Amino acid sequence: MLPKSGEVAIGVPQTPQQAARYRIESTCRSSPAARPEMDGWVYFAQCAEKAGIDSVLVALNRYEPDPLVVSCALGRATKRLKFIAAYRSGLMQPTTFVQQVNTLSGLIDGRIDLNIVAGSSTLEQHGYGDFLSHDERYARAEEFLAVCNAFWRSNGEVDFTGKYYQVERGMLNTPFLAPDRTAPEIYISGHSEASEQLAYSQGTCWLRVADTPEKLQPVAARMHAHGIRICLRLGLICRPTREEAVKAGKALLPKDGKEDSTRLKDDSQMYKEGKAVANDAHWLSQSLWAGLVPHYGPVWTTLLGTPQELAEAFLAYKQIGVSEFIISGWPEVDEMEIFGREVLPLIRRAEAQVGRY
Amino acid sequence: MNLRFHWMLPKGGEVAMKTPQETNRVLTTRSTSPAAIPDMEGWVKFARSAEESGIESVLLSFSRYEPDTILIACAVGQATTKLKFIVAYRMGLMQPTTFVQQINTLSGLIGGRVALNVVAGSSTAEQRGYGDFLEHDERYARAEEFLGICHSLWRGDGEVDFEGKYCRIEGGKLNTPFLAPDRNSPEIYISGHSEQAQHLALTRGSSWLRLIDTPEKLAPMVSRFREQGIEVSLRLGIICRPTYEEAVRAGQAMLPDEEISKQERAILSKSDSQTLKQALAAADDLGWMNRNVWAGLVPYYGSSAVTLLGSPQDLAECFLEYKRIGVTQFIISGWPKLDEMLIFGREVLPLVRKAEN
Repeated sequence: MLPKSGEVAIGVPQTPQQAARYRIESTCRSSPAARPEMDGWVYFAQCAEKAGIDSVLVALNRYEPDPLVVSCALGRATKRLKFIAAYRSGLMQPTTFVQQVNTLSGLIDGRIDLNIVAGSSTLEQHGYGDFLSHDERYARAEEFLAVCNAFWRSNGEVDFTGKYYQVERGMLNTPFLAPDRTAPEIYISGHSEASEQLAYSQGTCWLRVADTPEKLQPVAARMHAHGIRICLRLGLICRPTREEAVKAGKALLPKDGKEDSTRLKDDSQMYKEGKAVANDAHWLSQSLWAGLVPHYGPVWTTLLGTPQELAEAFLAYKQIGVSEFIISGWPEVDEMEIFGREVLPLIRRAEAQVGRY
Repeated sequence: MNLRFHWMLPKGGEVAMKTPQETNRVLTTRSTSPAAIPDMEGWVKFARSAEESGIESVLLSFSRYEPDTILIACAVGQATTKLKFIVAYRMGLMQPTTFVQQINTLSGLIGGRVALNVVAGSSTAEQRGYGDFLEHDERYARAEEFLGICHSLWRGDGEVDFEGKYCRIEGGKLNTPFLAPDRNSPEIYISGHSEQAQHLALTRGSSWLRLIDTPEKLAPMVSRFREQGIEVSLRLGIICRPTYEEAVRAGQAMLPDEEISKQERAILSKSDSQTLKQALAAADDLGWMNRNVWAGLVPYYGSSAVTLLGSPQDLAECFLEYKRIGVTQFIISGWPKLDEMLIFGREVLPLVRKAEN
């Protein structure tokens, strides 16, 4: 996950608590998160490349700069890192969206993928001029991506007549430009039935919050049957011992216990589930902890433990068919460096043992 | 106030093209044209030359044949330090909130060096490919609403509510402001020759952008705009040679062959743009609007090819004459793309500045 603007403090020690506090306050108008700040991002991106991270997810919301434009700036300043830009349908015409994504691909060597979100907050969507209900937003996202995919698949004109979009003889001369493909990966996120369906029909990968391998196994099998990959979103706390990791996690709990940055997400199945899960004892397994979820939201579902424990946890997900992870940590740079140095080599070593996984 | 001079950013591949004939509309709108592909090498070279030539901004044209203007401005803006980018965009392609979020993000990434050229949409067929099915007049009514919302968001004085015929926003807010050293919203150039375009410029723009015509014809219109506090900017081609005769010969040499001419006519006849109709009418009438203003290239290179030609002294005097009637800015194109700008910066601009100061 790309940190928010101003979140990365270069050369300044930052406690996990400070980092978490920063996140919570990031929706304030006065937060530096609202203003694009290249130095911190470029530093983070370079650290990510060094740590062996493939891509960063760039969020979309009304509190932060636009992810496509940010990916463009950051992509020009990096060489290998890819960008998964989050976008919602209902914000622009699919033709325009494809034109922007294709342009971006040509400017940053095709290092752009998409995370399509139907929209998680009714209030926020109203501010963008979108007044559809949760289920209708998925129906529209379906049409939106159908038009986008038609542009990416065809060399000719695109015609489409749906309930939400109509395109007549659409054509764009600028293609998606990448060394190895002709369209971006499309990560569909969400936990609802509708999002799962959308992933099957228009996506290449389903993105959801981490749960235990046992719980995820059936849906992973369904996705596989449809040729759709699975990517898990999670927080990570890696420490030399499990006790230290747990302590680091607990230290992130808000002091007054009342903090809740999730109220706005009134309309999200993922957030509803997140609340239910978290109220249920908080430990989903030995290493998967939802204690931060009631306060900061479901994407703070956290995998914690020693390097060895975490490597094994990732490999257990691999065994049920999960192939990608989008990770956050607090502070972002430190946790990513620990991951790259301590956890990733263990995973790669295990993966290299042919036939074992 | 000194006159302000901007230049048209060449299309992808144009900086390297050897003959003007290669840059005509028939060829650059083909799907195989290099105009479809982002050309950072050519653009950065051009942009830096523009900075050295005393050019204030480059205009980035919008069409389905070319990459997206906002992202190009982001990429080229990072490779430059002074040059501003006038980003052309059409209404009806995205929600106003999203548009403002992208523009504000861009402003923060390139030191506020962004202005807008708002076009209501010049071709009904092209608009339909973008999912926009409004007719010419309605497109202007929508642009009025669209820009009204944009201005409210730029004022940043609370949440934006708007309910119009084409746009509706409820509780709209963006934390990312327009970031520039000296402004809190971009300059807005409204182009178009129709009544509606002029009205839109008066209500929502900072400048009306139109094709060059003779000073006599323009004078009454220009004073009408200036009285209401709106600037007038002229779009023109330029051919500067040591003598007037050489300039005229250089212009004639740019006419394309007959087959291309025929195809070009067919494309142009389908447009519903007032600007183009008026420019074509002028071109049919031999093409000479006065000794220095020539419309002979319009049928082959588009309406913006109305050309001012002559010696450096002729041209400097022409610009100063436009200044006397109240014109404040010019957006120029020339052939060869780079050389003509260098000639302008070296030969014409110093004469203009000397007379001004």
